Amino acid sequence: MRPRVLVAMSGGVDSSVAAALLREDGYDVVGVAMRLAPEPSAPVAKRRGTCCSHDDFEDARRVAERMDFPFYVIDLRADFAARVVDNFVSEYLGGRTPNPCVMCNREIKFDRLWSRARALAADYVATGHYARIVPGADRRFHLLRAADDSKDQSYFLFTLGQDELSRTIFPLGAMTKTEVRARARALGLATADKPESQEICFVPDGDYASFVERQSDPTQLRPGLVIDRDGRRLAAHSGVHRFTVGQRRGLGVAGGERLYVREIRAESGEVVAGRREELDSPGLIANRVSLVDNSIASGRELSVEVKIRYRHRAIAATMRLDSGRRAEIRFASAGPAVTPGQACVFYRGDEVLGGGFIERAIAPEQAS
Amino acid sequence: MPIYLDNNAGAPLRAEAAAAVARLLADGGGNPSSVHRAGQRSRRILEAARAQVAALVGAAPRQIVFTSGGTESNNLAIFGAVTAASRRRKIISSEIEHSSILAPLAELERRGFDIVRVAPDSDGRIDPARVLATLDGDTALVALGLANSEVGTIQDLAPLAPACRTTGALFHIDAAQAAGRIPVDVEALGCDLMTLSGHKLGAPAGVGALYVRDSSRIAPVVFGGPHESGMRAGTSNLLGAVAFGAAAEALMNAMRPESERIGSLAASLLTQLRESIPGLRLNGPIVGRLPNTLNLTFPGVLGESMLIALDLEGVEVSMGSACAAGAVEPSHVLRAMGRSVADARSSLRLSLGWNNAADEIDAVAATIPAVWRRVAAAEPLSEVSAR
Repeated sequence: MRPRVLVAMSGGVDSSVAAALLREDGYDVVGVAMRLAPEPSAPVAKRRGTCCSHDDFEDARRVAERMDFPFYVIDLRADFAARVVDNFVSEYLGGRTPNPCVMCNREIKFDRLWSRARALAADYVATGHYARIVPGADRRFHLLRAADDSKDQSYFLFTLGQDELSRTIFPLGAMTKTEVRARARALGLATADKPESQEICFVPDGDYASFVERQSDPTQLRPGLVIDRDGRRLAAHSGVHRFTVGQRRGLGVAGGERLYVREIRAESGEVVAGRREELDSPGLIANRVSLVDNSIASGRELSVEVKIRYRHRAIAATMRLDSGRRAEIRFASAGPAVTPGQACVFYRGDEVLGGGFIERAIAPEQAS
Repeated sequence: MPIYLDNNAGAPLRAEAAAAVARLLADGGGNPSSVHRAGQRSRRILEAARAQVAALVGAAPRQIVFTSGGTESNNLAIFGAVTAASRRRKIISSEIEHSSILAPLAELERRGFDIVRVAPDSDGRIDPARVLATLDGDTALVALGLANSEVGTIQDLAPLAPACRTTGALFHIDAAQAAGRIPVDVEALGCDLMTLSGHKLGAPAGVGALYVRDSSRIAPVVFGGPHESGMRAGTSNLLGAVAFGAAAEALMNAMRPESERIGSLAASLLTQLRESIPGLRLNGPIVGRLPNTLNLTFPGVLGESMLIALDLEGVEVSMGSACAAGAVEPSHVLRAMGRSVADARSSLRLSLGWNNAADEIDAVAATIPAVWRRVAAAEPLSEVSAR
């Protein structure tokens, strides 16, 4: 019996090629497109650059027809709302900057979808992510950056453990985007030249603040003041959800030197602004840490590289894990703005060791 | 070979229909409206088909208008009726109709008509008394399905005819699911309009009919020629009509034994499934149901998951009103019958047909419980947000 693989298809070129490659490799491919967000209400012209619209499903269906494997649209809207969107909103209301793609991978693609895969008697789940899974001589699975560094998505996948990796396939991990597009053209896939999706899929217009406001009760919003480090009032604002640490625009402060958001205090509604150099921090505390391989012992200090935003480069740091799934990260040299809510992913070279969610920056005074 | 249990969505082509189409293709046809002899020959063929369809429901041939299918027939009945009865502003229907009735009614509501949608009981029955209670001199049309496509409940509609006649309302019956499965007679039912669908009874999709008792009481909605006695413009779909006619004629004799055979297969399937799936629930009444239709709530699983898992095992079923683009909304019929959203999401429709064999049903009776156990273990409903 050929192994069955459930391939999550968005209608984009990456997941199309992932499915096609597995089909060519002889897997029993079952394609699924996940309905996650409610049908976007924005006009079509404004929806460019996002996925999961009806047209995208039709693109995925055409790929399935061309490659001759079954394809289904599955409705995971309720799960997505409860496990990704609600978290996104509550994180913003709490003064943090969430990364819904990490949550979607953890909660939907590699948890909820895996349940569906087992229900459909599938042996594997596959996606079009750019990352590599390599079984080691130690019989452990290693999660590595993609061969194409410019497309590497391993940052979004740090929550995967041995169990998940053992039943996940990333067919594109060793390919460049150019190769993927060439392959799509060679296979005659309709999605070969589709543009990249950029925005968060459930906020097609990119206006996160308005989205959070639509999704919350007005009493949940935390309006307040923008202040400087000494507590002096600089401006008033309509809610902490409108800010992210490191943000420069939209502070409502006229003239003077360039100011950035340094800190967000959700309880008091205070947004602390400061100069660029005041953003520097010696490290951070991460919580809800998960490890790709649990053999990393707590208490020991470990040299790693950390990536604290998807678009940032990894920087050298030391990591110390406590027993409560929290980690203290100290940067080798002053790091970039630490944004609570974002993922902090630990690498060693190309390998993902694990990661967590940023709780807070370590204040410079605390640095030893 | 997959086992097809989705006959309410469309039945496989009957041999008689296929043979009639093959004959016509071999002989070559003309436009039945043409004057020349090829046209005359085609016209004879078309009228013979019309007589065959008419006979299935006890109508006169001239009362049968060929259409493109059940959806067009329902649209012609509804829009045609309100256009002809220009002063009347009310239409009575029910909450459990097919979308080809509900959508035209929603459109008329938008245009200012008063739409009354009667609620069914928990078995999907419409109480005639509730229809009569709201029927009045302002009512242009009463439009109700004879057998529900999702749960198979058969309605008791004949008692409505006298009151419709007295108040001057047109009485439209959507018999798309009923015709060919149970005896249907326009005189016994006393209706003014009746929708029939070709592909539900073994003709290809793309042909249907509307029975019109008195053509002066409805207005056409498609204009462009004198075809179908001016009721429906457009060159006749001769291939569809002969297939429809042939299937209808075959059913004149075959319906009773066929329905008995299908009914006993469905009953056997239900018994076997009940033995192996604790908590399995049949939606709709025990008696007074289409013999081929089993709408079942499978405890603890998502119907969507079961449907896909069964398809991968070669068993083809459906969720009541599945949409190929996903985002399956919980069945409006089951919701109207008082089922919870979760129960509606756990329900599947199995609809048997003329070519299901006994060994297929035995195979399915083994496959479905195995798939249910696997889905329930892998993806228990408690894990899923069913909202």
